[in-house]
Amino acid sequence: MAWLSSRVTSAGRGNEAGLATNSVDNRPIQLLLVEDNPADVRLLRELLKEISGSSFVLTVAPRMSEAQARLAAESFDVVVTDLSLPDSRDLSSFRELRSVAPTVPVIVLSGLDDESLAVSAVREGAQDYLFKTGLDAHILGRSIRHAIERHVAEQKLVRSEAFYHSLVEHLPQNIFRKDLDERFTFANQRFCQLLDKSLDDIIGRTDFDFYPPALAGKYQEDDREVIRTGKIFETIEENVAPDGETMYVQVVKTPIRDAKGKVLGTQCIFWDITAQKRFEQQLQRKNEALAASEAALRKSNEDLKSAQLQLIQAEKMESIGTLAAGVAHEVKNPLAIMQMGVNYLSKKVPAGEESIAMVLQEMREAITRADSITRGLLDFAASKQLAVKPEDFNQLISDTLKMVRHELHKKRIELVKELADKLPKVAVEKTQIQQVFVNIFVNAVHAMPEGGTLTVRTFARQMTGTTHSEGSRSSAHLWMGDTVVVAEVEDTGTGIPQEHLVKIFDPFFTTKPTGVGTGLGLPVSRKIVELHGGTIDIKNKPDGQGVRVTVQLQVRRENS
Amino acid sequence: MTKKRILLVDDEKSLTTLLKLNLEETGSYDVRVENWPEDALAAAREFKPDLILLDIIMPRMPGGNVAAQIDNDPALKGTPIVFLTAAVRKWQVEDNDGIICEHPCLAKPASVEEVIAMIEKHARK
Repeated sequence: MAWLSSRVTSAGRGNEAGLATNSVDNRPIQLLLVEDNPADVRLLRELLKEISGSSFVLTVAPRMSEAQARLAAESFDVVVTDLSLPDSRDLSSFRELRSVAPTVPVIVLSGLDDESLAVSAVREGAQDYLFKTGLDAHILGRSIRHAIERHVAEQKLVRSEAFYHSLVEHLPQNIFRKDLDERFTFANQRFCQLLDKSLDDIIGRTDFDFYPPALAGKYQEDDREVIRTGKIFETIEENVAPDGETMYVQVVKTPIRDAKGKVLGTQCIFWDITAQKRFEQQLQRKNEALAASEAALRKSNEDLKSAQLQLIQAEKMESIGTLAAGVAHEVKNPLAIMQMGVNYLSKKVPAGEESIAMVLQEMREAITRADSITRGLLDFAASKQLAVKPEDFNQLISDTLKMVRHELHKKRIELVKELADKLPKVAVEKTQIQQVFVNIFVNAVHAMPEGGTLTVRTFARQMTGTTHSEGSRSSAHLWMGDTVVVAEVEDTGTGIPQEHLVKIFDPFFTTKPTGVGTGLGLPVSRKIVELHGGTIDIKNKPDGQGVRVTVQLQVRRENS
Repeated sequence: MTKKRILLVDDEKSLTTLLKLNLEETGSYDVRVENWPEDALAAAREFKPDLILLDIIMPRMPGGNVAAQIDNDPALKGTPIVFLTAAVRKWQVEDNDGIICEHPCLAKPASVEEVIAMIEKHARK
C-alpha cells in the first residue's frame, strides 16, 4: 500500500496494536472536508489529531465544485461538509455531493441556528450531523466511525437486497407470499405478468380475486396445510388451459416464520413443467409401444410357429385322407363288379355242386369284408383324425364371436346375427372350427379399421351339385344331396383386390404388416374346413361393399 | 307279363355287363346298357325305358346332366330315374330318405337285391 503513505498529511499512522481505523482494514481513513472557513478547517484538523485509535488523511475542499471534482477523481471513506458554501447552500450542497458520490457516507456540519436543515439532510441520507459549536474529538471520532460502519452495513444490505431481488425477479419462476389471511404480500414480476396485474393490484388481494372459486379454494387449502403443519408442501398441479391442453405446474410452498419460529404466512414458488411432463409422457408412451410391439412380435412369432405346425399337420392328414379316400373309392367299383359276378354265378350252380356253392359263399364274404375295409378307410379320411362330436352350429358361432367381442368393440363394429332356427347339428371338432371362424372374424375386423358392420348368418340347405377339384375324384368334398349347414360372414370393408383373391389361400400370402398377419390364417382355415369335409369360399360382395366368406359343413348322422 | 325295360347308364363296362346279366337272369327285365353318357339321351328315346339306372360321376358328362336332358325331353318326360353311384355314401342316401336331387338314389356298392327292390319301387308300372 505504498500510495497510502504519500497521502498521510495530517496524522501519523496509527501505531497502537489492534487499532482499527477502518472497518475494512487498518489503513488511515480518507476524509474529505468541504469547508470554506479556514478557522473551521483548523479546528477540524486539530480535533482529528486528537481522535485516539484512528488516523486520518484529510483533504480539504473549500468549494462545492472542488469537492465534486475530488469525489469524482479520488476515493474517500467519509465526507464531512458544511452546508453553507460559496457556490452552494443548504440542502442543495448535500444533494450535489450525493449526486457525485452516492456511496460515500456524509456527515453534515451544522450551526446551532440551522439544525432543522441538518435533520432534513439526515432524512435524505446523511449519516449524521454535528454542531460546530462544542464539537470535541470524542464526538467527532465516534460520529465518523459510526458513519463509516453504518454505511458499510447499509451497503452490504443494499448489495444483499440487490442480490435477492435479482434472484427473485430474474429466475424463471413465479414467486409470491401471503399472510395468514391468504392476502398476497409479495409477488415477483413474473407472477404479476402471469396474472396480468401490477404488483399494487395484487398486494392485499386473495386467490379468489384472480382464479375461479374451485381453484382458489384449492390453493388456499394447500396454504392452510402448510400453515397447519409448518412443513414444506410440494405438488404437481394439472390445469386445463383455455385451448384444452393440460398444463402441468410444479408447486412448492413453504411457511414464513418470524425470529421465534412462529408462522407468519406462506411463500410459494411455482413453474411450468408441461414441456418436461409431455416429454416424460411421450417417453412412457414410446416405452409402452415398444413393450407392446415386442409382445406382439413374440406373439406373432408363436402364432407363426403354431400355424406352421397346424399346416404341416393338416397337410399330413390331408395326404393320408386323400390317399385313403382314393384307394377306397377306386376299390369300390371293382368290388361291386365282383359282387354282381358272384351273385350271378351263385344262381347258375348246378345241383349237387356243393363245393362251387361254398367257394362262391367264401368269395361273397371276402367281398363284404373288403367293402367294410373301404368304408373304414373313407371314414378315417373324413373324420377319424378329428375328435368330431355333434355340435350346435349356432352355439359354436356365438361362442366364437365372444372371443372377438373385444376387437369388435374396440373398432366400433356393429354385429348383426341372423342365425337360423333349428339347424341340424354338425359333426366337427369344435376348437378347430372355432379357430377357422376366429380367423374369419379377425380378418373382417382388420378390413374395417374405421368401424362397420359384421353380419353373421347361418342356414341349412341341400347340395344341388357336387364339389370336387379337377383331377381328383376323391378328395374331401361335398356330394350332391348332402345337407349342409352354411355360415356366411360379411364385412363392410373395402373388399379384396381381384389380384389378391386368387392368392388368399396361398400360405404366407398376406397384406398385413409384419407381426400382424402370418399369411397362414386362411390356408390353415381351409385345411381344417376341408378335413371336416366342408368348403370355404371368399368373394367380394356383389355390391362391392366388403367381403362375404361362406363356410359349408356337412350334416351327418352320428352313427353313420 | 311283359318285361320291364331298364336303361343302364354307367361308364364302368364290367359293372354294366354283370348287372345286366343279373337283372336279365331274373327273367323280369329287359336291360339295355349305355357306357357313354352323351349317348344316353338317344338310347332312351329309342329304347323308351320304364326306368333308367344312372351313374353320376362319368367322364365328359355327369349323370346330373343326363338326368336333366331326360327330364326336359318331351317324349321322355316322367321317365323314372334312379341314381346308382359311388358319389354318395349309403348314410347320405338314408339321411335323405333315398331321394337326391328329386330322384331316388342307390349308393354303390349295391347288391342285386337292392337294385331290384329299387326298380320295383320306382319303375313305370
